[in-house]
Amino acid sequence: MTRETQSTPAASTRVQRLGAGELSVDIRTPDLEVNFGPQHPATHGVMRILMRADGELVTGAQPHLGYLHRCAEKIGENVEWLQYLPYTDRYDYLASMNNNLGYSLAVEALLGVEIPRRATLIRIICAELNRIGSHLVAFGTYGLDIGAFTPFLYTFREREWMMALFEKICGARLTYSYIRIGGLFNDAPPGWFEEVSRFCDVFEQKWQEYVDLLLVNQIYVKRTANIGIISREMALDFGLTGPMVRGSGIDWDLRRDMPYMCYDEIWRAGAFKIPVARGEMGALGDCWDRSWVRVMEMIESIKIVRWCLDNMVEGPVIADIPKTLKVPLGEAYVGIENPRGELGHYVVSDGGKVSIRTRVRGPSFCNLAVLEDILPGSLVGDAIAIIGSTDIVVGETDR
Amino acid sequence: MDFQAIHDRLRAVAAPGLVGADLPRKPDPKVKKDKGRAGDPFVIVEAQRLVEFLEVCRDDDRLKFEQLVDLSATDPAKDDAQLWINVQLLSLKFRHRLAIKCLLPKAAPSMPSTVPVYRASQWHERECAEMFGITFVGHPDPRNILLPDDWVGSPLRKDYEFPKEYHGISCE
Amino acid sequence: MLSLENQFEENVLTTKVDWLINWARLSSIWPMTFGLACCAIEMMAVGAAHHDLDRFGAGAFRASPRQADLMIVAGTVNFKMAERVKRLYDQMPSPKYVIAMGACATGGGPYYKYGYTVVKGVDRVVPVDVYIAGCPPRPEALLEGLMKLQEKIRNSSVIRKPARTA
Repeated sequence: MTRETQSTPAASTRVQRLGAGELSVDIRTPDLEVNFGPQHPATHGVMRILMRADGELVTGAQPHLGYLHRCAEKIGENVEWLQYLPYTDRYDYLASMNNNLGYSLAVEALLGVEIPRRATLIRIICAELNRIGSHLVAFGTYGLDIGAFTPFLYTFREREWMMALFEKICGARLTYSYIRIGGLFNDAPPGWFEEVSRFCDVFEQKWQEYVDLLLVNQIYVKRTANIGIISREMALDFGLTGPMVRGSGIDWDLRRDMPYMCYDEIWRAGAFKIPVARGEMGALGDCWDRSWVRVMEMIESIKIVRWCLDNMVEGPVIADIPKTLKVPLGEAYVGIENPRGELGHYVVSDGGKVSIRTRVRGPSFCNLAVLEDILPGSLVGDAIAIIGSTDIVVGETDR
Repeated sequence: MDFQAIHDRLRAVAAPGLVGADLPRKPDPKVKKDKGRAGDPFVIVEAQRLVEFLEVCRDDDRLKFEQLVDLSATDPAKDDAQLWINVQLLSLKFRHRLAIKCLLPKAAPSMPSTVPVYRASQWHERECAEMFGITFVGHPDPRNILLPDDWVGSPLRKDYEFPKEYHGISCE
Repeated sequence: MLSLENQFEENVLTTKVDWLINWARLSSIWPMTFGLACCAIEMMAVGAAHHDLDRFGAGAFRASPRQADLMIVAGTVNFKMAERVKRLYDQMPSPKYVIAMGACATGGGPYYKYGYTVVKGVDRVVPVDVYIAGCPPRPEALLEGLMKLQEKIRNSSVIRKPARTA
């Protein structure tokens, strides 16, 4: 429901005499400015949105960032190439493997090294498992924002298993620093692949639970369908990527369209599909479509993991990289498909041990800009649902 | 299309502000101390004509760069008198990318804002402005985005001095 | 309660009353939802089913600081956020406790050296009761930190006069 409102600086009334002893009084009150954040259970981190609301209707929204600005790009210019890797984990902390991967691929583009096949396959397994983990949090906390507490517990149950798998391979639960420049930190321990395979088998049944419990739940559909509609033109103009753009019906995924590592092989083998929203429950590009894309992507990631397990090879897991790395003079940009969109790393080297520019193009930063245009006109409760559907991680918007 | 084809097309349509291109090359054995250059090719465009150039990139039938993926700046060295502006474009239709570089004088960096062409650059330009001190003329909302409103200095410049304290909290 | 604090000499009755008050307080510490960065995800994992925080009585996360006892500062605090942290701390009613979770809240974390906007430890802004190391700390570490806080509360004297130092 949208309607044009103008905010008036002071209250004004219009009195109309209707009949004998009857008056109609039209009272216009000034809009209320509400601070949504930075401390708020539903902002997915420290972000502040200055909302102007005319009663329940949002008439203006201005996102304010910078509450988690951790100077990652300045640090990139001061520490050595290999030392920067733990900082990459911490921008999108829900998908740390993908961040490590993006940075490593960018530096490897300058180095020109050949990555061993086993390392590439294990990298893909880790990246896809992390994609599942990230979508689990996104879906679970989205339900939490809207008021459904139980799916959050269910998704975190699977996430504990995924984190246990990662703990076995690299020792950390959340910020891994496992995918290094040149390959991986170490090889998978014996029995790890069988455990991943068992996880895949069990996950498919659990996934069906999420769909039945939340995704097609009538309350969830009523809360998320037909709101926060992002049109195709808006998605392209704002530079949106990832589920935001696939939720608006645009068939674009970097893993298939500009493939990196061996995703082109996996695509040609027909192992996975790219879910693109069709507007099943409401208008195309609404919040339900975006969360549908995320839920469907989880199953496609399982298929990719299965293909990698079936085609695993023996061999080394890291190329020959010196401990003190000197990267050749040049600059490179590599964009990969993060769970939130295109994560791009633009690295510039002058031939030395330290980068002269490590620019991080965070997908959440670009996805967030669209809020200024889609929040006005929605109700306050819908505003929460729209913000949740953008699936932002503030570590990535602020870096 | 690969980079060479894109560059040829840009020259064919006489894209405004196009100065040249820089391609990766192996070190030249005849030139001493030549390290060559690794990485991606990019085109060099005049900063003051970037807006018209981006319009051509977006609207031309064979280029069709629908999305601006990234707009950022680089301070190459403390004693270098120039700042770089790096723009990355993406075409979903033709599945190709383009990297653009513009040069700005470090003393008074100022260029027209690209927001009329791509809305995506609105926040990227705000970040460049506060991190490097670049003025984007005509930007609809030139506030600080990541740093506090009263922050002094441009942090990503190479000659930036770290602050000692801020609002009573020590930085040491 | 305020007028009775630290008024009475130590005897059997005041010790027992203190024990009762402390037991009530430590068994129902209600945290405020204050996850800032990566540590917040581990805090959410502690609140979820596997490492259940509710069995400590601390599972009721309150959104408003005026209803919370405990502020778990989970994540990096920077200057823009520091003023808000102070304001939220001031809004909490006494008795209030602060746990600094993770390396960033304890001492600036990995952003210590070149982070120009990072506050090197949240104890420069608010007084901290328990520090938990880790980047991010395991959920078990957060539970241990909570138990340490419970021990601190258990040993505090509410209505007894504090012991005089000569």
